[in-house]
Amino acid sequence: MSWRRLRTLLQREVRATLRDPFTVTMLIAVPLGTLLAFGFVLSTEVKHLPLAVLDADGSPASRRLVADLTAKGIFDARLFPTRAAIDRALVAGDVSAALIIPPDFDRRRRAVANGEPAPEVQVIYDGAEAVLAGNAEGFLRSLIAANGVTLTEDVHGGGRVAVVTRALFNPRLDGVPYMVAGTFGFVLSFLTTLITAVSIVNERIAGTFEQLQVTPATSVEIFLGKILPLGVVFALDVGLMMLVAGFVLGVWPQGSVPFFLLVSSFYVLVSLALGLLFSATSATAAEAVQKTVLFSIPLVQLSGFAFPIRNMPAIVRWITEVFPATHYIRISRAIYIRAAGPVSLLPDLFFLVVFAGILLWLALRSIEARA
Amino acid sequence: MSALRRFWSNVLAVAYRETIVLRHDQAFIGAVLAQPVMMLLLFGYVLSNEPANVDWALLDWSRSDASRRLVADIQATGYFRPPRTVASYETGRALLRGGHALAFVVIPDRFAAQLERGRPRVQLLLDGSDPLSAARVGGYIVEVAASFTPRDQALARRGPPRLAPPPGPIDVRQRFRFNSTLRDRDFFLAALAGMLLTNVCLSVTALGLVGERESGTFEQMLAQPISSLEIVLGKLLPYVGVAYVILLVSTLATGLLFDVWPRGGIPTLAIATLPFVLASLGIGVFVSALARSSAQGVFISVFFIMPSFVLSGSMFPYQLMPHGVRELGGLFPLRWYQIALRRIIERGAGLSDVLGPMAALVALFVLLLALIRWRMSPRLG
Repeated sequence: MSWRRLRTLLQREVRATLRDPFTVTMLIAVPLGTLLAFGFVLSTEVKHLPLAVLDADGSPASRRLVADLTAKGIFDARLFPTRAAIDRALVAGDVSAALIIPPDFDRRRRAVANGEPAPEVQVIYDGAEAVLAGNAEGFLRSLIAANGVTLTEDVHGGGRVAVVTRALFNPRLDGVPYMVAGTFGFVLSFLTTLITAVSIVNERIAGTFEQLQVTPATSVEIFLGKILPLGVVFALDVGLMMLVAGFVLGVWPQGSVPFFLLVSSFYVLVSLALGLLFSATSATAAEAVQKTVLFSIPLVQLSGFAFPIRNMPAIVRWITEVFPATHYIRISRAIYIRAAGPVSLLPDLFFLVVFAGILLWLALRSIEARA
Repeated sequence: MSALRRFWSNVLAVAYRETIVLRHDQAFIGAVLAQPVMMLLLFGYVLSNEPANVDWALLDWSRSDASRRLVADIQATGYFRPPRTVASYETGRALLRGGHALAFVVIPDRFAAQLERGRPRVQLLLDGSDPLSAARVGGYIVEVAASFTPRDQALARRGPPRLAPPPGPIDVRQRFRFNSTLRDRDFFLAALAGMLLTNVCLSVTALGLVGERESGTFEQMLAQPISSLEIVLGKLLPYVGVAYVILLVSTLATGLLFDVWPRGGIPTLAIATLPFVLASLGIGVFVSALARSSAQGVFISVFFIMPSFVLSGSMFPYQLMPHGVRELGGLFPLRWYQIALRRIIERGAGLSDVLGPMAALVALFVLLLALIRWRMSPRLG
């Protein structure tokens, strides 16, 4: 290992990377684009959902129920004269839910005091938008329940258990921090692997990689000469993403910033080694890209980036543990949102270290092999 | 008249050549076959937003029959694993912080007495770092608690709360149309064809045209008495056929495996698909005009495909995204196609119900044609 030789290799790599405008554009555009686009896709809030209303009662009580539902801006009521019109609106997807108040609503509401059963209303959701309907259901039922309590002056007395709910770390259950912390995992797994794979395959095709191999440089030096500059570039990307997430999206890390940077830089190494491996087994750059893409589909779907792992079948839950991205995304969310320290994250950190060891060793061997 | 006939015979000649090339491209055939299988398995069996196997912590100061019954009722919803009983408030919070529990229920020691007097309270702490799951799990627990009665009643033993809401001051009779159990699976599978077609149309055209330029065969074709428009159209024609094959396969597979058959007409589905396929192929051609190598072509199309899955509403409801992001998603053909797909497949809509999204797709296609002309003309002159 000679420092002089390594320095030459580093200079060469930095120049080669910066000379290519496409790579530089991707290095800046992709992290920022994904951060801004993915940041907002998950939402637990429901706002201005079109709600079809058929008020067959037309009493002050029924009108108050409708007014209460629309008061908070969660639902926008649209009055419909008939059931058939509501059905058409549901099929066309014009309304997300429909509320039907029967003609005897007010009469039965007043009869509750005499021990009659509670008044009924009917709610139909557009199940075609399953997620939306699930969110809307929760809001609509709690609003109707709250209204029912005021309307009937609490004739039931009690017995039902009240739950005092508090969400830690993210009191308004905002979706942005969750997606932002996950996007770090997405960018650092996908873009890094892709760019490394393409850069090395292109060198292999151009023959410059063989030229490197016949110089006095050892394979460890070639390896470091490739990995270190790219590693620094992606470490800068992490910093850039943190700043944009903070200033534009208002999401700052709750935990220790140095710890997050350390883990992220380490994870970049894992991804770079993976990129090296893909490039070693591909004949053309397009093939390397396709391999990376094929690998990245399970990465997006199975790593917990978009869908919680706990909801998956048991066998798949086991498989997801084999992806380094799963562990990094878990760590990234823990540090970013829950301010977790190294102690509670030991199992995931341990997995990352093991993966890094295996992948770096394999990547080094792929460089030694003279193709 | 003869000019028009020559135009079409040129287009068909290129299409014929492209079909021959396609038939021998095993990587392409493999990708076209493997992708639907993988996506079907993922969206059919694996991915879901519906909470399951939820880890939770319990601090039971009351240790009464009533508190044990409440815990059993929460368990009975089927969303939860057995709770982890902790001895102190701090331990419970540490479990939340470490990500080992999504919810932490604290039952006070006066719970049984409060229950008798009619104002019982329990505390629920949620891990807000996973907001969607937290919101839903919180909802389930609140629902269980709301239907909890002082004395054990056989009537209270019911299925998950969603199926049988407890009678409150107002009795809400609710129903989910089109997807009665709100399965995520049906939601994803309805848009599956759109995701598959996006993948195929984009990656294939982007790769094919750039590859042709790299190997010099594009210039060779230009040297023939044939215009660049005829070449591009001829190259795209076979992929329209491929797209319909994929639509057929994915419709059959989702139907046979998961019993999600289109409720609307098959002709409606076929007609609504055409403008989407054209717009997606147009994007592929545009990408190939931007890219200098096939690696760049794949690269750009990947970073188009990812956001179009996420922002179109195929995986997450676009209605919940903030303004700006929502309009941005409108630039992706998949947005309008998934709207049309959901109407036809899930809600059984007819052709007149999907004219709006189809018009948007045609508009996108025209816009792309203009862009392609502008970008390609100097090079092909």
